Amino acid sequence: MIKFIAYICFIGSFISFGLSTLGLYKFPDAYTRMHALGIGDTLGVGLIGLGLILLSPDWILRLKLIVVLLLFWIINPTMTHLISKAGIIRGTKPAEETKLMKE
Amino acid sequence: MRKRSILLFVMLLAFWIFISEGIDILHILVGSLAAFATVWIWQDLGPRQPSIPSAKIFLNLIRCLILLAWYIVTSCISVARTLLFSSPPPSPVFVEMETPIRTNWGRTLLGTCITIAPGTVTVDINPDTGRFLVHALTEETAVSLLHWRIIREIENLEKLMQGGS
Repeated sequence: MIKFIAYICFIGSFISFGLSTLGLYKFPDAYTRMHALGIGDTLGVGLIGLGLILLSPDWILRLKLIVVLLLFWIINPTMTHLISKAGIIRGTKPAEETKLMKE
Repeated sequence: MRKRSILLFVMLLAFWIFISEGIDILHILVGSLAAFATVWIWQDLGPRQPSIPSAKIFLNLIRCLILLAWYIVTSCISVARTLLFSSPPPSPVFVEMETPIRTNWGRTLLGTCITIAPGTVTVDINPDTGRFLVHALTEETAVSLLHWRIIREIENLEKLMQGGS
């Protein structure tokens, strides 16, 4: 049963990364592509981590995987923010349809 | 300050040993060097470290993280739907939003929460005014971001931290 759930997680992760890759081709600019990659980076990595945790033989390995996942979820948004900020600073233009909304 | 540095060194070394494959003299030596270098390089940040949170703050943080996990799942579905079924390309939005969050750690936490949820990316935070510049995939996402529950949760956390310190 646990193996079955782990395999479902791996399939979910595969679909998430597939959608991210599709987004790279379909979305018009660098900023929107980051949103597509977000699916793989959060849900995809989370599901693959969950699958590995379920298949792990001991608790130390499971704890290590949880630590790796937490670190990934802290580092990943930081890097995404840095890339988008660098894009704005260096004048990378967004897609033509992009609007500006002020609160 | 010195006590905090020693505590940080011990925590980093313990973390290093935890993620290492085995405990031997080489791992401990390299871990000690890495932990010492990290503490030494970041010693300026020492006075800015927040105090140890109380149980109530910790529980609030956990509640915030559970809420975030739910948002991540719903955002992933929303972005996937936009990706697969929106026939004209989506019209992205740059949103300038003001939040009631005043502290640097609160803003960092909110910025991270916004970016980790697919469909929104924090592009910039003005340190003086606290205004966030966020890139949202669709207008709908941008509008819903303005009424995000996590903003209120972080504001509550901030009040608890200020009350506790």
